[in-house]
Amino acid sequence: MITYIVRRLFQLVIVLIGVTIITFLIMFAIPGDPARQLAGKNATPERIAAIRLQLGLNRSLPVQYVKFVGRLAHGDLGESYQLQKPVLQMIWENAPNTIQLALAAVLIELLGIPLGIYSALRQYTFWDTTLTTAALIIWGIPVFVLGLFMQWFFGLKLNLLPLIGAGDNVLWIIPANWNSFASLILPAVTLGLIEVAYISYMQRASMLEVIRSDYIRTARAKGLSERKVVTKHAFKNAVIPVMTIAGIDLGALMGGAILTETVFARPGIGLMIYQAIGARDLPVVAGGVLFATLVYVFANLFVDLGYAWVDPRIRLEG
Amino acid sequence: MAERDTSGSQVTQDLTISTVSELDLIEDKYSGRKPLGLWADTWRRLKRNHLAVVGMCIIIVFLAVGMTEEIASFTPKGYLAPYNPNAVNYALSPKGLGSPPSWSHPFGTDYLGRDVFSRVLVATRISMLVGVIAVAIALIIGLILGPISGYYGGWVDSVIMRTADVFFAFPYILFVLLIMTVLGPGLWNVFIAIGILGWATYARLNRGSVLSVKAMEYVEAARAQGASDLRIIFRHVLPNTMAPVYVAIAMGIGGAIVTEAALSFLGIGIQPPNASWGKMIADYLSYLAAGSWWMLTFPSVFLVITVFGFISFGNGLRDATDPKLKE
Amino acid sequence: MGERLLTVDGLSTHFFTYAGVVKAVNGVSFTLDRKETLGIVGESGSGKTVAALSLMRLIPDPPGKIVEGSLMLGDRDLRKLSDEEIRQVRGNDIAMIFQDPMTSLNPVLKIGNQIAEAIILHQDKGKGEAWKMAAELLDRVGIPDAEKRVNQYPFEFSGGMRQRAMIAMAISCNPDILIADEPTTALDVTIQAQIIDVIEEMQQAYESGVILITHDLGVVAEIADKVMVMYGGRTVEYGGIDEIFYNPHHPYTWGLLGSLPRLDQTEKTRLTPIKGQPPDLIALPSGCPFVGRCLYERPTCRNQWPALEIVGPEHGVNCWIPEDERREVRASLPHFQEYAK
Repeated sequence: MITYIVRRLFQLVIVLIGVTIITFLIMFAIPGDPARQLAGKNATPERIAAIRLQLGLNRSLPVQYVKFVGRLAHGDLGESYQLQKPVLQMIWENAPNTIQLALAAVLIELLGIPLGIYSALRQYTFWDTTLTTAALIIWGIPVFVLGLFMQWFFGLKLNLLPLIGAGDNVLWIIPANWNSFASLILPAVTLGLIEVAYISYMQRASMLEVIRSDYIRTARAKGLSERKVVTKHAFKNAVIPVMTIAGIDLGALMGGAILTETVFARPGIGLMIYQAIGARDLPVVAGGVLFATLVYVFANLFVDLGYAWVDPRIRLEG
Repeated sequence: MAERDTSGSQVTQDLTISTVSELDLIEDKYSGRKPLGLWADTWRRLKRNHLAVVGMCIIIVFLAVGMTEEIASFTPKGYLAPYNPNAVNYALSPKGLGSPPSWSHPFGTDYLGRDVFSRVLVATRISMLVGVIAVAIALIIGLILGPISGYYGGWVDSVIMRTADVFFAFPYILFVLLIMTVLGPGLWNVFIAIGILGWATYARLNRGSVLSVKAMEYVEAARAQGASDLRIIFRHVLPNTMAPVYVAIAMGIGGAIVTEAALSFLGIGIQPPNASWGKMIADYLSYLAAGSWWMLTFPSVFLVITVFGFISFGNGLRDATDPKLKE
Repeated sequence: MGERLLTVDGLSTHFFTYAGVVKAVNGVSFTLDRKETLGIVGESGSGKTVAALSLMRLIPDPPGKIVEGSLMLGDRDLRKLSDEEIRQVRGNDIAMIFQDPMTSLNPVLKIGNQIAEAIILHQDKGKGEAWKMAAELLDRVGIPDAEKRVNQYPFEFSGGMRQRAMIAMAISCNPDILIADEPTTALDVTIQAQIIDVIEEMQQAYESGVILITHDLGVVAEIADKVMVMYGGRTVEYGGIDEIFYNPHHPYTWGLLGSLPRLDQTEKTRLTPIKGQPPDLIALPSGCPFVGRCLYERPTCRNQWPALEIVGPEHGVNCWIPEDERREVRASLPHFQEYAK
């Protein structure tokens, strides 16, 4: 396990270096004048000159990169030219809503596991076919399309839930009141439903593979009841690969959260990025993307360590 | 499951666990039938999978529509759809809310009185074009870097694969957004952004396949006969490792179409006068609240059906070419 | 021999697939007595594993089904038992050792857990006692340091050790019948003999009847009392071990024996593989499945399945070639000339 953790952390460092290099290259090494890009289209020549000096753009690229990383390490992600606010502060203000949405979607996503298992155990039946077909259709629905129709149906037609916005939180990410919770439901279900479809499809496949495996036949040959075979022998083996997939899919979830926020005009990193794109406010877009990437990379690390601990082959051998 | 990096973290982006048909396995085991070759066997298995067949029909129909419109775009008329997709007709849009579906306009008209059906057909062209070209770009890069990485190994492999890890570390759509913010909107930039970011999937798939094939005897034999490395890779190794790549292509085109739609929805994708389904959705979304449901619904339905086609065909292909089945 | 444990009569198991009905087992009959070892021999796809799984009703349904025959365990008809009753039989009355020890043990459960659960299920023992018994069983099948090993996971065991653990699991409830499905195929040659020894030892200790499924006549020669030769889902010949080895009557049996390496091998009796492909079980001829590969086939062979012909005590064969002609042909085969002497 320790070897595994060390190796995994080492890999994390490499990925972090790579991520910063690529972000740096996109922001600073693109054709054109980075200072002008970073300052925005309405900036005065004095401001552009100031930025150029501040960022050391007259130095060589490697030096600039080291400076860039140094600024990142101090939490300096630059300043939004549009709002004249530090990007880090904007991220800090917007992060709770996004993380709240992502976590809620993950909770909903987990429903895919029992659905997939049910489908696999009832293979060739009506319900299996129905669930699998539904999963494939929903899997392919772009999240903003689903969001628009959810908003229209549950918000506008049935008038059940708030159409847009977000409420107050306590403890950073816990909805403070009913309104706050209600405004979370539609975005979370929109984002979660697509993930449920994906995860249930994978879980079904994984369960089918396990249920036909040799060791399940061994378990049956012992005379265990079908229930015991599934709960004791199949469940863990079938869920481990799906958890891996779910961990990697967190990236898609982060991307989906951004689009969902845009549809539901819900304050968060996504809406922040969307508004910054409209104004071509590059520091905010890059800062937002970097933040989402870091959340994803670290969430992935925890998922990996989690399943390494569950799976004795990794836990004991490293 | 798609190949899992044993170092434990990042994996190919389109992760799917294949569901080999039990019946295919039994048939493989007990029929003395000789394999008919990879494609004949794949086709025999694929056509039993109803969802995959439906997916394939969808793909064929939409590719045909896209191609017809592509060809028509070079004619003086410029389109094959029943109406000019850009012809504004305020008479057909009383109160600026378009008019609902009718016999002459089956999908209704939009807020400028343009025929939605014609617009959806012409948008098929752009959506399919983005899917195909973006994947082609990603595929070409991946087909070059992946085999090189797997074949040469060592530090070349490390550099390429660690770079791929980094590309996987970004949430995909956000990475595309970032690039598009820098490049600015436009059809070609969409091709480039989606294409450039997709290479890692194909590179990794090809690398894995090359690794598994590299040690096989016929490669040794080719080397013993003095074939060059490049010739060995592209002539002897790649053709034998393409099945998972075809699956990734199918899934990738579906993914690229969704990504383009998302970009256009966010306002940094396709620019007028071009229209894709995503662009139409972005244009029409505010009319849903006003009750003009047809504007938003039809492009959405086309988009969803197409993506469903690619996903279910891709999954079916993956199941039919699972290495557990004999080739 | 001892009491009759098992009587199988006319067993047919088919799989219903898109391409057609796979007739994996077709009218197979055999018996098994206490302390007796029956070897079922045939190549891959001949239906021997399906026949064994049918005994435990472990055929996946759909697509598989036992379509005909009676399976009598003592006086109980296995086909008529309820699901609950057949579970009582599995592991308790009939236990099975599978081919590939690398995949037949659950990777995420400790070895002790996997052995103990059968004991807890069938013998009404508590958890602590069952684990203690598991350790004793591991010791019994020759795993050193069993107290410690019982707490390990399958990946910490070598292939041979895993197969020993499988045997421990199978004998944990003292079954009347032990089915070993190619128990040595996946193992190193050096380990194979050890595993066979363990199986034999356990048979002696527990007085079980053993069904040994294999394509390896060498293994059969070592421990079987009688042999059933299967081809294309059918029994083509059965008989006592000496009868099969020294007085074989079916061309397929000749072919199998001809491909068996022997210590007294000479230039003349070189290994002769059986030419041709195994049959397509979806499109079996209505007659003998061996047609097409049989060197002595005649027109009737393709269309009609030959009746069982008793050629000796407890020795039967299904073949259209007349008996005297069979003896003549056999005598001309290089491999059997030495027997003739």
